[in-house]
Amino acid sequence: MSFFRKRRDNAPCTIEVSNTFESLHAHVRFNNGAIVNPGDEVIVHGDPVKAPYGEVITEDREATILRATPLERLWTRVFGKLEFMEICEFSFSEEVSL
Amino acid sequence: MRTIIDDNTTDMAMEETLISPRFYTTNYKELDKVDVSSIRHEWDPLIKEMRSDPNKKHFQKTSEWDDFDFEDLEPGLRKEFIDFLVSSLTSEFSGCVLYKEMKRQGSNADICELFAMMARDEARHAGFINDALREANIAVNLGFLTRKKKYTYFAPKFIYYATYLSEKIGYARYITIYRHLEKNPSSRFHPIFKWFEKWCNDEFRHGEAFALLMRSDPKLTSGLNVYWIKFFLVAVYATMYVRDHARPEFHKALGVDIDWYDDQVLRMTTEISRQVFPIEIDHDNPKWMIGLKRVKKAMLAYGRAKQSKGVTGLIKRPLAALNLGIAFARLYAIPAKRNAVPETSRLQPSY
Repeated sequence: MSFFRKRRDNAPCTIEVSNTFESLHAHVRFNNGAIVNPGDEVIVHGDPVKAPYGEVITEDREATILRATPLERLWTRVFGKLEFMEICEFSFSEEVSL
Repeated sequence: MRTIIDDNTTDMAMEETLISPRFYTTNYKELDKVDVSSIRHEWDPLIKEMRSDPNKKHFQKTSEWDDFDFEDLEPGLRKEFIDFLVSSLTSEFSGCVLYKEMKRQGSNADICELFAMMARDEARHAGFINDALREANIAVNLGFLTRKKKYTYFAPKFIYYATYLSEKIGYARYITIYRHLEKNPSSRFHPIFKWFEKWCNDEFRHGEAFALLMRSDPKLTSGLNVYWIKFFLVAVYATMYVRDHARPEFHKALGVDIDWYDDQVLRMTTEISRQVFPIEIDHDNPKWMIGLKRVKKAMLAYGRAKQSKGVTGLIKRPLAALNLGIAFARLYAIPAKRNAVPETSRLQPSY
């Protein structure tokens, strides 16, 4: 692996988007067992998935995993924790004024 | 949050709000090694309770859901209330993605079952909030999947500290609002608040699970990790304080004094967290409130600096960030109180 160049891995994936009263979720599963590592970027190809209200959409798609360089990976491991506020439930966005 | 107008979807113009959840990865091998045998006698009853899915029927719109028109709200309150709904939905959604991923990548049966049930609850909450947004003619756009998403990394122990606090604070926030509105029903400006009492029991249970995970390995709450626990306590408490104070209209409409409310919520969270954390924030130390106010001021200045453009912005931003860092460090430096963690941790939501 080059130290500076990013590797691109393609992976078949299944997406499931649910926009129903019972459940609102969106998941991507890689069908070849690909693992996403710290700092990697993922893009699912094709048109934006639009699940109208009341529907669950499951589709097979192609995804590209843009692998982080070793330096980026290290950076994400060390400083990723500073982004933890995003998973916390505070009821309001971070904007200081709306 | 970006808002676009899309009037192709339905006959009525729907405003679309694009949600941007975060994506995380963690050390799945480490999660697989989690061993709950030392706390099995507490773990099994909790899992059994979650399996029975006590809130399965709760998130339904009954006749209790009064008619409500968003147009009746003052514009300032409307904006803040929608921010409340969208932010809550986004964090339920991000929680769901994270928990589902932990379930999918893991092979430890205890962990997988727990995270599957938590993902179920979060997706259900998100669906319920989504429905309330639809009444305001706001549709959630889930199109983020086909845009580039960066995965950030969170070691399992940091997930435990952060989500434990988040779930317990979520419980404390919802129950405090619910109890306040029980006494002051005329301030209940939207029906969703009626659902908070049972809703927050899900958050409480999730918090219980994280407490047990931390107790399964004493190293997680001792040694250098105590400094991390303090870091998360201070950061989460301060963030909540700042964000609440930036939403005056919402709290005014509920008839809630923000200082009173935050004090109640944070003290309640501290009381609950004695089940697992060896230290606690000293709310009675006068320096604590002074420090919180200092962080609030620094955070607001930082927010303004981020918005200023050109050379002024270039100079202001690092200075504001430095100032915020110093304010946070001073808050962190206030001594915490020691806490003797009890033999067993299970608590019931009784507030």
